Amino acid sequence: MSEKLLDVENLTMKFGGLVAIDNLTFSASKDKITSIIGPNGAGKTTVFNCLTGFYKATAGSMYLNKENERLNLKKFSDFRIAQKAGVARTFQNIRLFPQMSVLENMMVAQHNKLMDASGFTFLGLFNSPSFVQKEKEAVEISKYWLDIIGLTNRANDDAGDLPYGDQRKLEIVRAMCINPHLLCLDEPAAGLNARESADLNKLLLFIKNEKKTGILLIEHDMSVVMGISDHVVVLNYGKKIFQGTAKETKNSPEVIEAYLGTDE
Amino acid sequence: MEKNFLQTSIKDSIFTGLIALALFGPIVGLRTVAKNEALVVHPKWLIVTIIVVVCAVGRFLINLYEFRKEQRTGIKSGIGKSIGNFLDTKGAQIALGAIIFSVIFPFLPFTDRYWMDIAIMMLTYIMLGWGLNIVIGLAGLLDLGYVAFYAVGAYSYALFAIHFGWSFWICLPLAGIFAAMFGVLLGFPVLRLRGDYLAIVTLAFGEMIRILLLNWYELTKGPDGLTGIPRPSFFGLPFKRYPDEGVETFHTFFGLEYSPMQRIIFLYYLILVLALITNLFTIKIRRLPIGRAWEALREDEIACKSLGVNPRNTKLTAFAIGAMFGGFAGSFFATRQAFISPESFTFIESAIIVAIVVLGGMGSQTGVVLSTVFLIGLIEVFRDFESYRMIAFGGAMVLIMIFRPRGILATRKPTIILGKKG
Repeated sequence: MSEKLLDVENLTMKFGGLVAIDNLTFSASKDKITSIIGPNGAGKTTVFNCLTGFYKATAGSMYLNKENERLNLKKFSDFRIAQKAGVARTFQNIRLFPQMSVLENMMVAQHNKLMDASGFTFLGLFNSPSFVQKEKEAVEISKYWLDIIGLTNRANDDAGDLPYGDQRKLEIVRAMCINPHLLCLDEPAAGLNARESADLNKLLLFIKNEKKTGILLIEHDMSVVMGISDHVVVLNYGKKIFQGTAKETKNSPEVIEAYLGTDE
Repeated sequence: MEKNFLQTSIKDSIFTGLIALALFGPIVGLRTVAKNEALVVHPKWLIVTIIVVVCAVGRFLINLYEFRKEQRTGIKSGIGKSIGNFLDTKGAQIALGAIIFSVIFPFLPFTDRYWMDIAIMMLTYIMLGWGLNIVIGLAGLLDLGYVAFYAVGAYSYALFAIHFGWSFWICLPLAGIFAAMFGVLLGFPVLRLRGDYLAIVTLAFGEMIRILLLNWYELTKGPDGLTGIPRPSFFGLPFKRYPDEGVETFHTFFGLEYSPMQRIIFLYYLILVLALITNLFTIKIRRLPIGRAWEALREDEIACKSLGVNPRNTKLTAFAIGAMFGGFAGSFFATRQAFISPESFTFIESAIIVAIVVLGGMGSQTGVVLSTVFLIGLIEVFRDFESYRMIAFGGAMVLIMIFRPRGILATRKPTIILGKKG
């Protein structure tokens, strides 16, 4: 039994009268990949938006267990989730900075660290050695990740000019640049071809095994879900209808019913 | 295909001619003349015909040229592209040439008082353009009230200098700080706004400052304006022909003959240095984390939040720093004119500065210079034509938008390059 990284209890999100998430309880573990699946409109992305501070949950609790502290995620508002709690996310429709270069995208992700090093810009203006050093390190980190996804030779090109699959991968490694404890990926395999999703699987397994970062994954592509998830949570109409390993999920009658309907 | 093409382009040019007729017919063709105590319409059909023919034939020739080009290269291209390619590749050389030219400009043989005044005005606009470029070009916040900060800078400089008698070099930073404070003041309420909504609020802000200046009579003397703003001195040496008893002046100190040009040349170099400082600062800050965060914010605010970038601080610094340079330019304006009134800070000024930034190519420093020279220069050249100069101004904008839809210099250079080694 590995340590619980994320603890979500009785999470509820209402939009007026619409209950998008209803009393959802689940957990995610460190160095495990937890997938959230479910039909369209089941509330998967809403869970992400609550976790990453884009929405304020109506009720329930969300805790992130770091090495020696337990953080209440509800206390952090939007950008502070990434800055202070170390929860990173990607988006269903890729959100890169299209007119900035690939390397610049990676540098923006290391903004807070560099901002401190630049002494809130004053030291940076005069090229203080400590800032130059920190910036060099940030470039090294960027290069490390770009090497992994094979984009080093395109580092100076605009991110918007990359092929779709590379943009997906870039968004994931950009999120990794903030050194997250938990990485939330919203449909990373959408629109990828078979070879690209195989590459994606490799990247995610690398992040899980080498970086010991917990991954929370929303995905429709079952080859990704079944191939790499350690744990699957199935949502339907905002409720959790099943959880278990990938294999158990595949054979569960409730899940089959939610996706395909019952025979009368 | 050839025939088909000729047919469409003839049709197109006839259509252009009709539009020209509809526009210029009433504007240029119908002139009212006072005759026997009554207004009589005095048609001028000849000039209208000439304009219409020029438009139609010009359109035909453009069509022809574009067609030839298309045939030759197989891809669509135009006059704008060839000029553009030149500008894109030679950007650095153009910038260097411009700096050298502007340094030796006051001593060129043909430079007289008139040209110096125009050059000073252009440099003021260039500086404002560079300041606004931080807000619009980098941070992507469409600010239509930039002239408010220019006004705050000018008035705070004037009030400090008149009431406390402080020197230019003390009042200048104070004016900048005041303007930056107003930048933050504007920034707070508009943090959640973007695009059109932001533009409307900033526009209103610009007007509010102007109306405040107009009505706060005790402080600003309202529409009468502030007079007797101290002239700048050359590090304590005033530019005066008949100085007060016992005061050494610039010309006596350097043993020169007195000439009013000395002060003008000093003002010229002053604004040149201020503008270049603005430019260097922007170039440097673009490469710092804050500058990159501005650009990222322009590209995608939600992605910024997901990476832990604080959008509030980032926007406020952009507003504050942009406003600060507006304030510096304002204090220069005040000391140069020695008289300021709210009339110098109307919306049209903001519009011109925004036009300079947008037409120059968002975020491009050299582009700001080129579009200032083009737009302000054109206004000056057409000075004798009185109200027609605004037509020239509009025409210039239309030309730039046709040939360079993303601005004169639209290429963006990355702020950091991953080299082969290092």
